[in-house]
Amino acid sequence: MPLINLPTFAPDLLADFASLQTERVDTPVIQPAEPFLDMAGEDLRRRIFMTESETGQSLCLRPEFTIPVCLRHIETATGTPRRYAYLGEVFRQRREGGNEFYQAGIEDLGERDVARADARAVHDALFVLGHRLPGRTLKVVLGDQAMFEAVVAACGLPRGWQKRLIHAFGNQDRLRDLLEALSQPISTGVFGPEVERLATLGLLNDEAALSRHIDETMQATGYSTNASRTPADIARRLREKMDLASVRLDVKTAATLRAFLAIEVPLNEAPAALFDFARHAGLAIDEALARFDARAKALVDAGVDPAVITYRSAFGRPLDYYTGLVFEVLADGDPAVLAGGGRFDRLMTLLGATTHIPAVGFSLWLDRIEQAIAQGASA
Amino acid sequence: MTITIALPSKGRMKEDASEIFARAGLRITAVGNDRSYRGRVEGRDDIEIAFLSASEISREIGNGTFDFGVTGEDLIREGLTQVDERVEFCARLGFGHADVVVAVPEIWLDVDTMADLGDVAADFRARHGRRLTIATKYWRLTQQFFSGNHGIQLYRIVESLGATEGAPASGSADIIVDITSTGSTLRANHLKILSDGVILKSEACLVRARKPGHADDPVVEEIVRAVRAVL
Repeated sequence: MPLINLPTFAPDLLADFASLQTERVDTPVIQPAEPFLDMAGEDLRRRIFMTESETGQSLCLRPEFTIPVCLRHIETATGTPRRYAYLGEVFRQRREGGNEFYQAGIEDLGERDVARADARAVHDALFVLGHRLPGRTLKVVLGDQAMFEAVVAACGLPRGWQKRLIHAFGNQDRLRDLLEALSQPISTGVFGPEVERLATLGLLNDEAALSRHIDETMQATGYSTNASRTPADIARRLREKMDLASVRLDVKTAATLRAFLAIEVPLNEAPAALFDFARHAGLAIDEALARFDARAKALVDAGVDPAVITYRSAFGRPLDYYTGLVFEVLADGDPAVLAGGGRFDRLMTLLGATTHIPAVGFSLWLDRIEQAIAQGASA
Repeated sequence: MTITIALPSKGRMKEDASEIFARAGLRITAVGNDRSYRGRVEGRDDIEIAFLSASEISREIGNGTFDFGVTGEDLIREGLTQVDERVEFCARLGFGHADVVVAVPEIWLDVDTMADLGDVAADFRARHGRRLTIATKYWRLTQQFFSGNHGIQLYRIVESLGATEGAPASGSADIIVDITSTGSTLRANHLKILSDGVILKSEACLVRARKPGHADDPVVEEIVRAVRAVL
């Protein structure tokens, strides 16, 4: 079927992908909806086009390529490392722009040299965008999920708080609100009357006894003890919450986290800035720093000009399968994100891979690239 | 122009709505027999009444099929997108009270707030190999409240069209979002409402479809004023 709305540069883009040692894959347009909703959450439901098969299976029009490409890899069990490229239509309800548009990109699965693979993803995105937009200055914003997680861990915060902070990372408003809430004495944990009753019975001091009590209550009230949260789960988290009820985020740690989140520097200054930050705050994050340095060096080795990259410490994606690098590419003087990518080492196992498969990739917004080309031509 | 009003077709809602209109000087009678789905206001040829189910009223007001409707705020907010652009809530009628709430098993001793629930949802998958599931018929209200107000994304909705409060005990969902007036059904099923888990305090409302012709229609204004005066 001839696709007449395909961007005119599509053949050149595919030739670029081929020159980057990738293997072109295609995936069905109609996909099972479950994996998308499972990975991205219920919010996605409003933005995808869903239907049902005759047998009641939820189906949707492909809203993106990463999950289908990864699922295809798992199904075909072709072994790693693999570099897949794709180009095709995706379907999403958007506030701006049409509901069907083209995306293209590369997914790099199973490369053990993380720094090299990260650098290659940024390089490849810049390489193909540079060919579409000759003469335009491209800018990269780079973030690092692992760096934030390392900082939070090194601050010695309780596990429960670490999880909350990491979960909010990438959403700046939520993170700011959370830091505020954790700093305030009024935000003591709320406990129901039943917990107070258990406290007077002395059941809260012994996690095993508490767990037994919960188990007995569940049996007595007709709850299945293994269908949902187990007695041990509830007992453990109740103890965790009680430990936190009297603790506040101290002023110094709050200031440290805020200072970290304010870091925004050119990439070649970033290793030094992060090192200074860690030394100043007294944080042991050597491993994360070493990985960051390795990636910065790998970027130079891959031929990327570090001057086009800005490291922004607060930049992340609030999805729980992103694990390290995140980046966006923009053309100078234009707010439209032309390419977005990142490392998602947790996705493959979440989708059912039986071995750990590190993964990094990016995708290009072809409609925005077309607009950027048109703007360049008219300017 | 004839003004149309959609009223609930049965039960307490029908009686309570008729009573308020009667007090407001708009006495409603069924056309033909008592079970007829059409009605009129005594002495008023410029007003027509249609009796529909409460959820259909929500949908048809959104479509602009009728000028006014009486139905639960929960059904309007669940049934329509961009609700405030499409309808005006003219009056809260003081009956049909019900709260849409987030309720979790009582035995979840560690969960009393949405923040607690967010923590549980965040590592639910790691612990149980699946996302936290919510049984509800309120898809839209749940999504708005969980992701819009509380930043909780990682859950799945399991549609439930009845006996929602039984879902956690039967294992078909972990928690529920449902409507409650006294909370007794929730308590009987060993569920508790989170302290900040009230999504909507709903009651029956007089709602108006926003239509261009309404601005200079004296009857529209008269109906709103008459109903408000007796509340």
